[in-house]
Amino acid sequence: MNIHGMGIVCACGTGVDSFEKALKQGWQKPEEIQVPHLKNIKTPAYLVNLNEVSERHLFKKMRRADKFSKMAALAASEALVTGGLEGINKNNIGVIVATGLGTHDTTFNFLDGILDYGEAGVSPTVFSNSVHNAAASYISSVLGIQGQTLTVTQFYFSFHYALQLARSWLDEERCDHVLVGAVEQYGNVFGYICDTKLKTAADGKIRPFNFHPAYQVPGEGAAFFLVSRKDTGNIYGTFHDIAFGGHKNYTVPVDLNIIDTDGMLSDESVYMKDITSDVPVAAYSPIFGSMMTGSAFNCAAGVLMLKNQTCYANPVKDNPRGINLLDDAKYYNIEFIQCTRYNCNGENAFIYLRKYKEVDP
Amino acid sequence: MITDNKILITGLGVISAAGNNLSETLVSLRQGKRTAGPVRLFETQLQYPVFEVSALPDKYYLEGQRTLSLALVAVDEALRDAQLQGDLSARRIGVCLGTTVASQLNDLEFYRSYRDRGTAPMKPVERYLKGNLAGFISRKLKAGGPSLTVVNACSSGTDAVGIALSWLNNGLCDIAIAGGADELNRVPLCGFGSLGIMSRDLCAPFDRDRKGLNLGEGAGVLVVETEQSAAKRGITSDLHLAGYGSASDSYHLTAPHPEGRGLEASINKALAYSGIGPQEIAFVNAHGTATPDNDAVEGRVLARVFGAGLKMLSTKGYTGHTLGAAGGIEAVFTAAALREGWIPASIGFTQRDNNIPIAPVRERTNINGRFALSTSLAFGGNNAALVLGRRLIS
Repeated sequence: MNIHGMGIVCACGTGVDSFEKALKQGWQKPEEIQVPHLKNIKTPAYLVNLNEVSERHLFKKMRRADKFSKMAALAASEALVTGGLEGINKNNIGVIVATGLGTHDTTFNFLDGILDYGEAGVSPTVFSNSVHNAAASYISSVLGIQGQTLTVTQFYFSFHYALQLARSWLDEERCDHVLVGAVEQYGNVFGYICDTKLKTAADGKIRPFNFHPAYQVPGEGAAFFLVSRKDTGNIYGTFHDIAFGGHKNYTVPVDLNIIDTDGMLSDESVYMKDITSDVPVAAYSPIFGSMMTGSAFNCAAGVLMLKNQTCYANPVKDNPRGINLLDDAKYYNIEFIQCTRYNCNGENAFIYLRKYKEVDP
Repeated sequence: MITDNKILITGLGVISAAGNNLSETLVSLRQGKRTAGPVRLFETQLQYPVFEVSALPDKYYLEGQRTLSLALVAVDEALRDAQLQGDLSARRIGVCLGTTVASQLNDLEFYRSYRDRGTAPMKPVERYLKGNLAGFISRKLKAGGPSLTVVNACSSGTDAVGIALSWLNNGLCDIAIAGGADELNRVPLCGFGSLGIMSRDLCAPFDRDRKGLNLGEGAGVLVVETEQSAAKRGITSDLHLAGYGSASDSYHLTAPHPEGRGLEASINKALAYSGIGPQEIAFVNAHGTATPDNDAVEGRVLARVFGAGLKMLSTKGYTGHTLGAAGGIEAVFTAAALREGWIPASIGFTQRDNNIPIAPVRERTNINGRFALSTSLAFGGNNAALVLGRRLIS
């Protein structure tokens, strides 16, 4: 699948340019937010500031939307625009929104309504926005897309299955293009759950190569891709394949292994199974935070490397196990990238990114 | 696109207020039986009739995971029907299920505790994290194919079946378990109440005096598989999944497009995928929620595409609106009706609405034809349609 456009919203700002700048800058300390109920206790989190968004016209039709939907719509819009496809038929664009946890913050707002005002006093607006597919709905209405619109959730593999489905839709000619992406939102309850079930990095620094113990810093944001089988317009690179439950054998060697370690598993040693000494390893979660669908953001980093033929240094280089980390000072001819994800059941999934060539096999 | 592969429907499983399995359900449909009543599953001040599953079989009970329990009942029945039992680990089976409630961590007591004290027990969180419908069932069956939970509001079940069709046609699996499940839950009860679209009477889809929907719960699951897979297993089926189409209204978060733009597109896509024309559809199992807006828009679209003489019905009068389960349950009903050769009365309908140029059947009606359509209109403006077919087996 060719990647025509990308859109990113994360703590480092809105837009691919901001994301690229953050990748070049390296690790930045996240925001510290007050923990409810605990006086003077703060916790780190990579949060999106929508007040700084310049594309406010998009929000005109989304005045009642929650942050989850706004982040998704912003990223999807950028992916469509950067696709640079003139005269694209919006009846033939599909939308797939992948999310691990969905609109949980708005769901809790809705529960606030029940607790504060009783069952008959809840807000219909909050309820409408708490439905998982609200973001996909806003994307289609704001961008005028009339193709099929879908929201899926499979926790850690949500983005992977969404990509796999996008490919199926294109191959069946259900759509000419698919806007496929991931979105997650931070909320205090989610922060509490993560802090209780996992270990939070007190200094705000995710150390992706520590593996065990693993430390998380919650993140939020959205990453979208405009994909198709067409060879016209802007092309960043390709989603070459998506594999579950093990590697596939390809004729092209893997140049880089981007791993999704971000502290969302309490023990991430399982990733060691897929690390070899001959393939350099990178992880960019310290840029955008820990998210179930963080794979989408790591893929975005990989796609930019393929497009620009540049290596972005690992933002955090702590390497107690001495693995072969990506050396940004070294020149790599990057053609093929493997993005590796494990879930809490020890199952794995891989996304393979490939540099665009006029005829992609 | 016309596909050369036949995707057979080899198993059906269903549970709802209309019955705990397909044979019980067919009796209810044949007799025009409705079993709605006040909410019994949890204490509530909201006085709306609902369609609850009266007796969930004990062996499927999972504490705090009613949606998953309902799904397991339907999956088990569908697998038995498909003669898929025992160790399935060697087979490439995909699992695609739609839901709304099971995708949310919406445990009120968990949240109340967090809100009041800043701490809360993790048990509801564990249940939620282990309860992803497709993931749980896939792991339980060691299914070996893709697994995906669809959270597309009220079209989730229909979309899940459509995704299974894509998987099979793209060779991602040989067999798929597809449909939807949802429990009756306080959040949608309060939410739909706040939107003012629930009726205090029994729902009356397409009726002139319809006042809104009744919520229900249940699960509907199909086992669909490639003809080659069925042949390899030594079975066949007269039923097949012919097509799926989906399209967005691109209009409004809670209201359907006034002209049913997305619904019409989804129906046309499903017909085109199936390689048939509207005249080949024997009947339509409509979404028919009994809300004023839904039924008016849907009725107009169906009349436009199929003509006013179309045989159509809504089965929501038997089950209530089961949200993410509805598409799965109604696909099972549609398949069963094609096989049985009759559709039940569109219960609740008595008075024709002059603003809707089509009316559902008032009594059990024989049908004659090879194809039927099932539609879903979702909150958020997504629309989906499935074409199911029946063939004579020599």
